[in-house]
Formats: sequence, structure tokens, C-alpha cells
Amino acid sequence: MAGRPKNSTRAEDGKNGGFDAELTDLAPEARWREWMNRIEAVLFAAPKPVEREKLARVVGRDASIDLLIDDIREELRSKPYDVVNLADGWAFRTRPAYSDAIVASAALPARSAALSESEAMVLVSIAYHQPVTKAEIAEILGREVPRDLIATLRDTGMIATGPRSPSPGAPFTYVTTKGFLGYFGLDTLRDLPDREALEDAGMLGRDRIASDSLPLGFEDDP
Amino acid sequence: MRLRPDLPVVAFATVPGVPAWARPRGAVEREAEAGYFAGAALISLDNLVRSDLVWAGVWRQRLALTCAAAAARLVGRREEQEALRDAHFFRAPGDEPGPAGDLLLAWRRLAGRPTRLDAATLRPVAETLCVRWDDALAAILAEAQGLAASSQPAPLLAAEIAAALYRQRPDAELLAFWLADLLTAQMLRWPTPVPLLMGQAGSGVFKTADGRRRIRPGGEGWRRAVLRAYAQAARDACDLGADLARRAGRLIAVAPKLRAKGAGEVVSLLLNDDAVPSSWSSARLSDRGARRLFERLGKLGAVRELSGRPAFRLYGL
Repeated sequence: MAGRPKNSTRAEDGKNGGFDAELTDLAPEARWREWMNRIEAVLFAAPKPVEREKLARVVGRDASIDLLIDDIREELRSKPYDVVNLADGWAFRTRPAYSDAIVASAALPARSAALSESEAMVLVSIAYHQPVTKAEIAEILGREVPRDLIATLRDTGMIATGPRSPSPGAPFTYVTTKGFLGYFGLDTLRDLPDREALEDAGMLGRDRIASDSLPLGFEDDP
Repeated sequence: MRLRPDLPVVAFATVPGVPAWARPRGAVEREAEAGYFAGAALISLDNLVRSDLVWAGVWRQRLALTCAAAAARLVGRREEQEALRDAHFFRAPGDEPGPAGDLLLAWRRLAGRPTRLDAATLRPVAETLCVRWDDALAAILAEAQGLAASSQPAPLLAAEIAAALYRQRPDAELLAFWLADLLTAQMLRWPTPVPLLMGQAGSGVFKTADGRRRIRPGGEGWRRAVLRAYAQAARDACDLGADLARRAGRLIAVAPKLRAKGAGEVVSLLLNDDAVPSSWSSARLSDRGARRLFERLGKLGAVRELSGRPAFRLYGL
């Protein structure tokens, strides 16, 4: 199993310089193992989710990214973190069950979990109107609420499903969690900025929440 | 009346009520008067609790609902009893109750099972009420355990412990009301507490003399207010008992006419909890069968539909 010499690989893939993606000199099992390690290393080092194209650069041309990631996830099953597929790529995420512990440790700088503006608006709507359904949030905000936005918020451990709404289809309601309180340094929901003051300012209720004056000091989209 | 082994047997004992002479007809100004009425009403309530009546479960859970609704009002939430009930009964296992559901959960816990005065009881309730557990609360609990060994009147000890807790932790007012009832139950030797004090938080007894402000735990007039509150709460609880005894009697009277399999289980649930969702089903009774059974019980005047909705109905005494 001599395969092509390393030099030819280097020549074909000028963009990666001397990097050997194909690993033709390794046995198939060892090669697969090395590819898994590379993907894991890239995800671990990257500050944000890594797209499929970027992962494809470090493994063989015919290797399936999905199968490699499946194998990585299988190995992580007993770990408190996992590789998850987000809208824009893959990333390591701690499992939601550990959000309380992470918040309690206060080890994360505040900006590390910064929310996008639309995530923040949905979160505020849930905080003040909980338990509230997705359709009700859309009504409050005057715009559609994408399903994956709710999923992203759930992944942060700041919201969870509440009781079913007694309305047609019995949709789930959403509520905030202890992780939400911990993240914003609140002891109880009563510590949220005064509801009436916000209503007077036109930021709550059936009016639209003014997107440029969110009450909780969220960061803008990166 | 045929006897059926799956139906509860009820003895139609008279329900202890608070006699007219123990119901104040005017303003109760002095603490001694308030104490007299509280003691008299609590004796009637004590007799009711000890009678171990077949509808005690629904009675306790209705009192818990009243208390949770008052708690919600106190903290400025908008949920009335109906919304609290929905939050509880439409929650699947593993779902979060949400803030309103948590309030009901806390008082259902008080009403639902034998409860001891210890950290294993109080700490989860504090968490449910979003109160951070700290050394100050642990010290209050130790103080409550000390008070429980004294021989002072229960409502005065309840007032004292609530004031002490609120002084240490003004953010934990609801827990102060909860603990007051737990201590009262200890003093009256009730294994399972009865939710009482919180339900009166919005009533006139906790208003200052000018009627404008609410008397906070430990504030001026707090002891008298708690005495009056226990008098009124015990009276209301006995009156609710008389009403539920009538309704339970009606349900038990029609129960032998029910031919559906598993009907006995439904009757038992209705006697033991505030409500049963119309979607309820069991191994012996399908959800359609249960729906038909509830409709029939409704026609027979033995249950009420509590939600007022055409769908997602909730039935109860």
C-alpha cells in the first residue's frame, strides 16, 4: 500500500502547502482515527462553528464528514460536551444539563454567550410572558420566530419547555430556566426590569419590542 | 344501593364548621379578641382535619390553589386560579412548570403529603419559589424547630417565624407564608399541613388601619393580622369543606350508576385532586371512554367543568 508519494499530494493541493490530507501512508483504520482527531482538534481550537468546507480540507477527499462526526460524537457520549450541528457549521457545546454548573462557576466572561439581537428579543418575550407559545411570541414581536432560533436558545440552557398550551394543537409553551436567572445575575424573575415601566415605554405588551432599546443590555450581532 | 368494591365507601358525617358565635361580626381591634376567634376557628378546622374525610384530597388541593393564586397576586403576576390550574395539569413529565406553575407546585407540596420541619422539606420549596438557600435561611429553620418545641399558641409562633424570615430575607416573603403554615401544622400535630395563611394575603386583614398599605411580616400590627388571618382562613376552609362534602356526596351517590370500567378510579381521582383533565385515560378506561364518563357525570350534576373551554377541559368537584 505504497500509494502516491507525499510530494505529489503537496503538488496537487497547493493551498494547504505541505499539509497531507489524504494520509495514504497510514492503514485505513489509523487514517480514519487521524481524521477524527483532526476534526476534533479544529473544532476545539475554533472560536466559532466550523463549516463543512473547512473541515473537508483536513481529511481525505472521499472521506464523509458526517460519518467522521458521528464517530466523534459516539466517543463523546459519556462526556459533558458534544459536537453539535449548528446553522453555520459544527462546534463543541456543553450539554444543557451542565448549564447550571457552568453558570454557578461564573467562569465564563459575560460576552462568551452573547446573543444575537433576534435571540435576545425572543428571550425577553419569553421572560416577560412565560409560559408562552412560539405563535404568541411571533404575535408579540410582530414577526415569525424560526424554529432553530428557539433551539439555539434551548441549547444555551436559558429556556425550557413549559406546560402545553390549552389551545388548538396543544403547542408547547416556553419558560426561562435557572440558567437564565444565573446568566443575568438575577435571583428571581421579580428582579427583571420593572414590567410597567417597560410597558409605559412601549417596549412590552402587544406593541413591538423596540429593537434598539432592549432592556437587558444584550450585545448586537457579531 | 349496590356495593361495589372499586368505589369508596363514605360515611356521611357532618362536617365540622365554625359556629356563628366564633365568627366576628365587626372590626376586631384588640389582639386578644383576634386570638380568641383564631383559636375557636382552628378547633373546628382541627376537627375537620382529623375526621379523615374521603374528599380531604380535593379539599387540600383547592386550598393550595387559593393560596397559590394569592401568592401570584402578591408578586404581581397576572395568573388567576384557572391559569395556575392549566399550568399544572397540562404539563408533561420533564417539562418546566414556569413561574406560575412553580407557585402552585409549592403549595400543592405543602398540602399533598406528610411533611416534616426540616431542610429536606424547606430547601426544595425555597428553590421552587426562586429563593436562594443560604445560612440565614438555615438559621431560620433552626429557630422554627426551636419554636415548634415550645407551648405557645400556634398562630403566634407562625407570625413570629414569618417575621423572622422576612427580616432576614425580604426577597423570600412567599416562603415566610409557606413556613408559617408548616409550623402551624407542627403545633397542631397535623402530619400533612393545610394551606391557609397565604390565601388571606390579599384580604382586608393584612391592610393597615388607613386601608392603604399591606402589613408586611413583622410590621406594625402583624401579629394581630396573622391571628385574624388564621381565624378567617380556618372559617373559609371549613366552609369550603361543607361545600365539597355536598358535592362529594352527590358524586358518590351517582357512582354506582356508572357502568364504565375504571369509573371507580375516576371517582377516586375526583375526590383526591383539584381537577382531572378530560384527556385522562388509564389501562381500563380509554380517553374516549373517560370523556364520555365526564360528560355523563356532568349531566348527573356530579362534576363541574372548571376551565370554561370547549376543548382541553378540566373536570372537578
